Amino acid sequence: MLARSPSTMPMTKDRWRPSIIWLTLPAAVWLVLFALAPLAFMIVMSTWTSNIFGTTATWTFDNYRRFAEEPLYVSVLFTTVRVALICTVVSLVVSYPLAWFLAERKGRAKAIFLILVFLPFWTSYLIRTFVWLPILGRTGIINDVLLRAGIIERPLEWLLYNEGTIYFGLVYVYTLFMTLPIYVSLDRLDRSLIAAAADLGATPVRIFWRIVLPLSLPGVVSGCVMVFLLSAGAFVTPQLLGGPSAIMFGNLIASQFLANNNWAFGAALSVILIGVVMMFVFVAGRRIGLQRIFVGEGR
Amino acid sequence: MASRSMHSSRWDAVLWAYVITFFVVLYGPLLILVAFSFNDAEVVALPFRGFTLKWYWAIFAMPELVSSLVNSFVLGAIAGAIATALALGLALGFRRDFRLKPLLLRLILVPIIVPGIIGGVVLLLFFGYFGMPFGLYTTVLIAHINWTLPFAFLTLYPRLHRFDRSIEEAAMDLGARPFTVFRRIVLPMIKPALYATFLFSFTLSFDEFIRTIFVLGGERTVPVHVWSLVIGEIAPFLPAVGVVIMVISVSASLIGLLVSAQGDRVAAQS
Repeated sequence: MLARSPSTMPMTKDRWRPSIIWLTLPAAVWLVLFALAPLAFMIVMSTWTSNIFGTTATWTFDNYRRFAEEPLYVSVLFTTVRVALICTVVSLVVSYPLAWFLAERKGRAKAIFLILVFLPFWTSYLIRTFVWLPILGRTGIINDVLLRAGIIERPLEWLLYNEGTIYFGLVYVYTLFMTLPIYVSLDRLDRSLIAAAADLGATPVRIFWRIVLPLSLPGVVSGCVMVFLLSAGAFVTPQLLGGPSAIMFGNLIASQFLANNNWAFGAALSVILIGVVMMFVFVAGRRIGLQRIFVGEGR
Repeated sequence: MASRSMHSSRWDAVLWAYVITFFVVLYGPLLILVAFSFNDAEVVALPFRGFTLKWYWAIFAMPELVSSLVNSFVLGAIAGAIATALALGLALGFRRDFRLKPLLLRLILVPIIVPGIIGGVVLLLFFGYFGMPFGLYTTVLIAHINWTLPFAFLTLYPRLHRFDRSIEEAAMDLGARPFTVFRRIVLPMIKPALYATFLFSFTLSFDEFIRTIFVLGGERTVPVHVWSLVIGEIAPFLPAVGVVIMVISVSASLIGLLVSAQGDRVAAQS
């Protein structure tokens, strides 16, 4: 845990005090100036008004009213939350067995498997997303192979450009953020607990529900928060794989800036998205503590 | 072994089959991309019409693409260096307890918790309204350092945290100045971790797209350029561009992993 550190003699501690300030100050100033202040400014601007002449400082809730009164916007928000939740659950189901597998490897095999899992996620998600176009598309590999084999007569249209493709694309690019924290908690799990339970006659299913799952819960929660966060803010995946009908909140926000030039409304939409995401993070954070979600369980 | 009793070899077989399927789905598309990059055809589709390197040569014939690659490379190096330096200060400070530590930790996590698209939007609003000139080494650099700093800290901090501090304390008690202690004791121990942090930050910056697109000035980064190519018809040279980008980020992160593994080994021995 971060907060815990070995007790030190008061004298040494005093000598360190000024250096802590000088060491952490540059990053702290940076974050206040470029992360916190812009965020606060956006919240302020979400109550301003934008028109063709620009954005003027007023105090109004019109942007939020406009969101609430337009069923399309509200439905896009619901779609986004639904997509993010489904992606989170699918990632969890996909990742858990993999994380267990990784935790069970030993020595060199473990290192190799870990690197094999990690490497693709360290490459551009833009490329890992568009790579599906020549695979799932109308003239893509899957249709090509199926047509040649005579299994289908006309190309399958439903492989691409729908909500299902978004789930698939998002899980493909983000599932590592689920695998990694679950792996970390399974790797630390004391194997003798499992052996003891098995010796006492517990079935594998019971061992999983009563021992393995509860002890890996911090990893599960941490992974769920990360995948939910990333999916809820998705822009690239729905744009490339979702087609025109399946837009998500990220696309709605982007269009306020890249197309409509309505900054104040875009700011309000962003505040709404952050609000929804924060609610989810804090519900999870109350359970296991915010810093454990992102920093891990420490040592 | 202890856990062996829990699952029979049948379960092991199922697990292996699952893991193999996972790897096929994970790597299959990337291998297909590599195959397409060598395909001597005008469309990105089957069948394979022979092996060619012409799409790779085509990259060099497109000055916009080459300059976007160079831009991303230089930007990644600068953002990586600054993020690593800032994270080093944080990680060193975080080895002691101080009153604002929990608050500062929350502040560090802000750029991760805020969805990427909003991370771009807030900077567009802020810099746009206050008239900051948009450009590669102003707004884009700031966006990239925002993005990489938390990860740099999360990479560096655990590695710094686990070193035995008794050597440093002994040196301090013998009258060594803090900077001397850092240079002679701490720095040699964390050098591999610093290199790894730099390389990870470089990769994150090199591949960053969603924050960049909102704060772009006149010049593009390579993901932004690729985006402009992807949203239209998929050009036949695109797989080759994808492979070049993948090779750069994979090599950087692979070297980072190896360096940090070596550092962990050294740490375990000392």
